[in-house]
Amino acid sequence: MRPRVFIGALLGIGLLAFQGRFRGFRGEVDNDDAPFPPDGNEKTEFVFARLRYPSVRFAWGFRGNWATDYWKADRQFVQGVRRLTRIHVRSVEQVVDLDSDEIYNWPWVYAVEVGHWDLTDAQCRRLRDYLLRGGFLMVDDFHGTWEWENFMASLSRVFPDRPVVDLDSKDPIFHVLYDLDERFQVPGIQYWYSGRIYEKDGIEPRWRAVYDDKGRIMVAICHNMDLGDAWEWADHPRYPEPYASLAYRIGINYIIYAMTH
Amino acid sequence: MFELLFKYPPAAFTKGELVWLAPWPFAWAAAGLLLAAALLAGQIGRQAQRLTRPRRLALWLLQAAFLALLLLVVRQPALSVTTLKPRQNIVAVLLDDSRSMAVREAAGLRIEQARAVLRNGLLDSLGARFQVRLYRFGDRLTRIEKPEEAAGQAQATHIGQALSALAAEAAGLPLGAVVLLSDGADTRGGVGREVIEQLRARRLPVHTLGFGRERFERDVEMGRIELPARALPGDRLTALVAVRQNGYRGARVRLAVREGGKTLASREIRLAGPEQTEWLSFAAGAAGPHRLEFLLEPLAGEENARNNALARLLQVEDLKPRLLYMEGEPRWEFKFIRRAVEEDPALRLVTLLRTTENKLYRQGIADPKELEQGFPASAEELFAFRGLILGSLESGYFTAAQQELIRQFADRRGGGVLWLGGRRALAEGGWSRPPLADPLPAILPAGKQTFHRDRARVRLTPAGADSLICRLEESPEANLERWRKLPALADYQEAGEPKPGAVVLAELDTPEGRRLPLLVTQNYGRGRTALFATGGSWRWQMLQEPADQSHEIFWRQLLRWLVNGAPGQVSGSTPAPVLEDDSRAMLRAEVRDKAFLPLADARVEARILGPEGLSETVELRPQAGEPGLFQAEWTAGRPGAYSAEIAARRGEQEIGRDLVLFRREDGVAEDFRAEQNRELLRALAEQTGGRYWRPAEADRLAREISYSEAGIGVREMLELWDMPFVFLLALALRSSEWLLRRAWGAV
Repeated sequence: MRPRVFIGALLGIGLLAFQGRFRGFRGEVDNDDAPFPPDGNEKTEFVFARLRYPSVRFAWGFRGNWATDYWKADRQFVQGVRRLTRIHVRSVEQVVDLDSDEIYNWPWVYAVEVGHWDLTDAQCRRLRDYLLRGGFLMVDDFHGTWEWENFMASLSRVFPDRPVVDLDSKDPIFHVLYDLDERFQVPGIQYWYSGRIYEKDGIEPRWRAVYDDKGRIMVAICHNMDLGDAWEWADHPRYPEPYASLAYRIGINYIIYAMTH
Repeated sequence: MFELLFKYPPAAFTKGELVWLAPWPFAWAAAGLLLAAALLAGQIGRQAQRLTRPRRLALWLLQAAFLALLLLVVRQPALSVTTLKPRQNIVAVLLDDSRSMAVREAAGLRIEQARAVLRNGLLDSLGARFQVRLYRFGDRLTRIEKPEEAAGQAQATHIGQALSALAAEAAGLPLGAVVLLSDGADTRGGVGREVIEQLRARRLPVHTLGFGRERFERDVEMGRIELPARALPGDRLTALVAVRQNGYRGARVRLAVREGGKTLASREIRLAGPEQTEWLSFAAGAAGPHRLEFLLEPLAGEENARNNALARLLQVEDLKPRLLYMEGEPRWEFKFIRRAVEEDPALRLVTLLRTTENKLYRQGIADPKELEQGFPASAEELFAFRGLILGSLESGYFTAAQQELIRQFADRRGGGVLWLGGRRALAEGGWSRPPLADPLPAILPAGKQTFHRDRARVRLTPAGADSLICRLEESPEANLERWRKLPALADYQEAGEPKPGAVVLAELDTPEGRRLPLLVTQNYGRGRTALFATGGSWRWQMLQEPADQSHEIFWRQLLRWLVNGAPGQVSGSTPAPVLEDDSRAMLRAEVRDKAFLPLADARVEARILGPEGLSETVELRPQAGEPGLFQAEWTAGRPGAYSAEIAARRGEQEIGRDLVLFRREDGVAEDFRAEQNRELLRALAEQTGGRYWRPAEADRLAREISYSEAGIGVREMLELWDMPFVFLLALALRSSEWLLRRAWGAV
């Protein structure tokens, strides 16, 4: 989570009564002045698709939560995917939403700060279809009880009958490329100035999932951790390398899992 | 009429030899004829100077011909012919007692007509000259005393077997001729060459009397059925069924396949010509033997409804063939193929995925050691799989030995190899070089940049519309429509030119409007190969409703096709899984080692289980000149279902085993092709020196039958000079000359 977002959230904590549904996305993108990479339009097998979703927000809120860490985290992460695997990856991410069938062309989708998402019923239905057809959703960077409950408020409308389960370390998703039996909490950049690994009351990192009927993960849930920040700040001298390294390995494993299961 | 003109029956002329009884030589007669002709020419020239030259020539020709006729008569022509000695020879009369002889004709049952012919003169006339032995035959020959002992009830017609048995029985007897009364509807399809040779060696003529119509007026008949002998559980199968008809052109009839009274599939067909081929698709069902009955529902007014159904055996193998899929990079096609096959209970997909430069990810392996070193480097390891899929990876990834193994996987092992399109596949991956260019079903483009990440739409070719691989819907029209509506592929690759003999099942339309082959198949060596020039069929799954099964069905059918027919180390077979009125079962086994090289020193046995608790072990013998091939002939004593478990051993080590099913069915073939087979009866008679007779001609048979070289014969000289034909000819020549002279005023 970026510092100014964190401070903004603290200032507005007493204004929850004004909470409402925020649907605007214009001007909410970080780093929107960044130069476009020369190979940004290359046609590739894999594209880092970022889910744009409506947030539960303050009425006068900031930019949408979906765009947190966007685009630097995405582009920095796929450079690692390019370097460390044989996946043919585009250097530039793709922003997708649940308002059209276009999402079906992107079988792997990443959603950040889903502790703030607020999907419409139509979006829930499309997300369910997407996942049942074989799509894969990775969610990240949400913390504590409140954000979990808010996350579940939408997810339970996507799959009312499917439980969210804690992932066993033996699950193939932790071994498909890197063996990730030893995992630890990956903090966001706030660790740099707060010295605290966790955020809110999210002390324990949780690797969770929703499985399909054949025992394959459809939704991979990274709760109480901030892999997106670790990708984004991997090049920052103050951000500890072990966190960035683990975040890359988790992300790559999740992608390869999505492309093999 | 013939005998009136020529004095003797035709048989005397066909069997006799022309001789001249006058002692003076032929040269004298020729010289006399030339001299007389010259004198005649001079005389006509003097006497008829008023006539034109052609007219004089005509008169000379008539006189010369008359003169030549006189000279021939004077030389006393005769036929030297062997005839059977009266009362000293036996004539065997064979009466067809099979069920087809009980077919009703306009004048009654065929068997009744045959008995009437015998009773109303034929037996008496034969008895006046010969000793007559009467037999009935169906699937065996039995001597009888009276024609009434044949009632048209035998389950089969084996004419050849009956004649062979007769020849054996009468080996030391003066058998002079055979008279065969039959409709010729032989259930073995004809009389073998060895039987004909046997009869010809004895110079034994077979005279055939044919009964029955040569064509039913109104009949529908089930013909040949083409159906694979083996399938995997749940396979979609298509049977090709030949349907014959007379008198029902344009009618509609329901074609069905049933098992144990349950209809597996049916469809209505329109009868178009005398014979047509129809298809019927159905699911193979669970593992085990299946007796499938193919049925044409009887039509109103059909004369023979017993030929509307036929049974076939299908062995659904309790196998889970393993396929190895080697993929060069993580990609969506890999994931979705895996998902499609995961739900197929009959296939097991083992995958090797190159996730990084130095790491392979294995899925579906049987144990942690399997494929630990990557792609197999030995035939034993690779040939344990029945199918091989090669994804987006360059041919140079494999060693030269592995490349040769891949070629031999199809050629020698008999497996199926499928190449997928991809950015490192086919031409991009250097697959156009030997030895791997050989098994590919297309000649790949020479250049690179053949892989395009652009969407392409798919269309079925006519061959694809007929293929089970591409059958997403049962109805051909609905299937084409479903293919037309499939989402576009995510990418495509230029596959080049399909090779001669390859079949293009599907094509793709590129955004630039080009049409390229997409799915190409071919047989290669003992196996089969295919290419699917895309890595983007995953959009068929992601762009359609979750319940849509197009992607899954297509991939399962394609991969089932790939492994179907891939043999194990021991591969049993029988040329005739249904023995129709036959007891001789031929069992064959091909035995190979783990590298699928022929094993000549194996010991091969078949344990046969049959009706009424039968259990017997038969050894299959190696066949000279065909290493690895073992064979045995065995007699199935009773009708019913049989299973032969063929096991091969080498020393104490078992190489493998296979199951072969067959079934003996008696009395079924008798209902098919029940029209009179006149061609067979005519050919049998002509090849043995006899003659084909119609029942109405039977009164002449006894006399003509005498001209036979079999039995006890006597040489006779039949003089020909006094044939009425000679006098009529002489009269015609003279009277013609006289009439011409009158007409031309030269009398």
